[in-house]
Amino acid sequence: MARTVGIDLGTTFSLVAHLDPATGSPKCIPGPYGSTLCPSVVSVDGDGKVIVGEPARQLLLTQPERTIYSVKRLMGRGVDDIQDELRLFPFRIDSGSRNVIRVRLGDKLFTPPEISAFILRELKSWAENHFGEPVERAVVTVPAYFNDAQRQATKDAGRLAGLEVLRLVNEPTAAALAYGLHEQKRGRVAVYDFGGGTFDISILKLISTSEGDIYQVLSTNGDTHLGGDDIDNALLERMRATISELHNVDLSAHPEAAQEVRKRVIAAKHELSAKDSVLLSFKLPGGGVVQQAINRADFEKWIEPIVARTMEPVRHALADAKLAPAEIDEVVLVGGSTRIPLVRRTVGEYFERPPHCELDPDEVVALGAAAQATILEGGVKTMLLLDVTPLSLGIETMGGVVAKIIPRNSTIPASAQELFTTGVENQTAIDVHILQGERELAKDCRSLARFQLKVPPGPAGLARVEVKFLIDANGILQVAARDLKTDAQQVLEVQPSYGLSDDEIERMLEESIEFAEEDFANRQVIEARTEAETILNATEKTLRGSRSSELSPGERRSIDGAVSHLRSAVAGTDYKLMRQCIDELNQATMHLAEILMNSALQTAVQGKRLEDV
Amino acid sequence: MSVTQPQTARTDATAAAKCWNCGAASAGPHFCPSCGKIQPLLAGTDYFAFFGLPQQLTLDSTALENEFHKLSWKLHPDNFVRASEFERNLSLELSAQLNDAYRALSEPIARIEYLLAHLGVRKEGATKQQAPPELLEEVFELNESLDELREARADGGDTALLRERLGEAKSNFQDKLAEVDDELAVASREWDAALAANADPSKQTALLSRMNDVLNRRSYIRNLVASVAKELAEA
Repeated sequence: MARTVGIDLGTTFSLVAHLDPATGSPKCIPGPYGSTLCPSVVSVDGDGKVIVGEPARQLLLTQPERTIYSVKRLMGRGVDDIQDELRLFPFRIDSGSRNVIRVRLGDKLFTPPEISAFILRELKSWAENHFGEPVERAVVTVPAYFNDAQRQATKDAGRLAGLEVLRLVNEPTAAALAYGLHEQKRGRVAVYDFGGGTFDISILKLISTSEGDIYQVLSTNGDTHLGGDDIDNALLERMRATISELHNVDLSAHPEAAQEVRKRVIAAKHELSAKDSVLLSFKLPGGGVVQQAINRADFEKWIEPIVARTMEPVRHALADAKLAPAEIDEVVLVGGSTRIPLVRRTVGEYFERPPHCELDPDEVVALGAAAQATILEGGVKTMLLLDVTPLSLGIETMGGVVAKIIPRNSTIPASAQELFTTGVENQTAIDVHILQGERELAKDCRSLARFQLKVPPGPAGLARVEVKFLIDANGILQVAARDLKTDAQQVLEVQPSYGLSDDEIERMLEESIEFAEEDFANRQVIEARTEAETILNATEKTLRGSRSSELSPGERRSIDGAVSHLRSAVAGTDYKLMRQCIDELNQATMHLAEILMNSALQTAVQGKRLEDV
Repeated sequence: MSVTQPQTARTDATAAAKCWNCGAASAGPHFCPSCGKIQPLLAGTDYFAFFGLPQQLTLDSTALENEFHKLSWKLHPDNFVRASEFERNLSLELSAQLNDAYRALSEPIARIEYLLAHLGVRKEGATKQQAPPELLEEVFELNESLDELREARADGGDTALLRERLGEAKSNFQDKLAEVDDELAVASREWDAALAANADPSKQTALLSRMNDVLNRRSYIRNLVASVAKELAEA
């Protein structure tokens, strides 16, 4: 049976985990470089070959224009959304992009789900190499505060990577699950998840029932564009200013040097979690040398505003759960950025208790995803996650005001029915605009999609169309419409506001299959050529040997003919022709092979009595 | 988001009682007692009936939560990943219904709102926003103070006194909110008693409409308190 794995598709790193049958606990799978962390970096070389992970991270320094990191920030977003990121990240966005961003890597264009699919494919192959068998299904984690479009984009990425995504699980919920399994935690738990690019806070209640444990999320909040990246950028900005001031070098004119500086400040950030001071020292284009000491007090002063930004969602989540900080029994830290002492201190002081960080903050989300994957795979169900939708779902009404139909923090699956009717006589269509967010006006919320309900012409208010909105266990919205007058299901043509349409995904899938066919053909050519060369060498060697004199002139001629056919076939790329010529040569050399066989037998039995043979 | 095609979980009242799988006569609730397969909801199942409860407003919240967890464990889509598409859809619909029902019933106010909407007494989004007559004078004074505060802020004048006055008004209205909640609790108990005694429909209707009036007053006062809190926070 094909395996199901858990995947943490992160901004900075991605991981794949499975349930280790030896221990019965989830475990992360290491890649070819020994680490379980796969840098979420993708590079496309001049031949169009895709490079993922550690080697791509190296290419970031030498080929930044062909390499992308932090693509998760672009998932499910439109060009207008990402203007802020463009100032800070070297994304090369195609000018023709609108509702789906297209990123340029070298001379090719890719959508964020396609790039994420490359990362998923890499992790899939790590797992396949580990198991020695195919992996076709996965549980993939997403930030709890991801909206519908961001979730859908993640699911699309899975599909493009050839994975059936059994479930999207919220990252903090997955982490809570991993901790719950590990520590047998009970009561009210706050999960503070500060990763590379996203921040989430989830408040959960862990309940033991006679059937098993229930992990019920009470509330969640966050910021899908707040993470360690922002800390790196703050440091990078300071270094840019210093370098420009002291050395008169403008880093924006030197993308390679800018990546080098970025790499150095990230290393400094990591070191400052353990040391009080670090020295940055490197050469600049033009020969200047930077020598810059950073001490922890300065570092903390610089990043304090970023850490402070995480506390606003924390307060909102607690208010929504109707709990005070002191009513939280356990606090769990997740994500690489929680290694920073200032972050630990800030969280500990707010909740008035030391936070848990026993499990590796990089691995814990993938471990939880693997546990959920095991349950969905059909293993014994020992626990149940009840998650919530992070944002209210609404529809636009008169005057651009949003009517909320499913409130935020509703347990999912969740649904709502709305009845629509016509406002004027002989109206034949009703426009429906679906939004996500907490604001009053449609223009301030996130547009999810628009569609039209078709109604037969008639007096105003006569039509009755019921639309059912259902948020599934992945946090993704489904809509269905039914005409109450005719009881007929209405086929909806939904225009998603952001993201790929089904047609686009189909096309991408076909392309990837075409690529796969091309790959298959290439492999066939290589294999046929290798076989042809082996047989050609063997034939020629035999023909040069003494036994070839036993062939008739006719036989000799047909062998020579078959050899020259195969030679010319090998020069080309038609593997089917090569196979045909290999068969021809095999036929022509049948007698020769018999001669050889007999001679070999004679040699072997020489000097032995018949009864010994 | 995605579009779902014909929903399967809807059945008409006549076919509802039979199990779709084994044909057993009295299938449900939620599962067929004979073959164990998940079942569509019976037509007309309201949120109370989903939990096997009468339409009563006084509920044991711990018992409700336990039942919610028990049903979640059975109905959740996690259990149906390998099942047929039909069963997967049923699980999705029933879990959604369970969560919707629990959301509405677990909070006393939301529970009354649901009951009134379900019985057609209360139209969603059509709550009256006129000031209740007995509050008119106080609301008038409050609005005056709010205007003065805004003016004073715009002119950079002293707002301390106004803020104090508004703070008092706010706590006054918060007390009224508590009174209204008490009124709702009393009405809820009367409703439950009427329901248990099978009281005549006119008495039931009168109770429902009284609760609706109190709810309207409640939402009006709540909005007042919220707007005062907002102005005070900004000042």
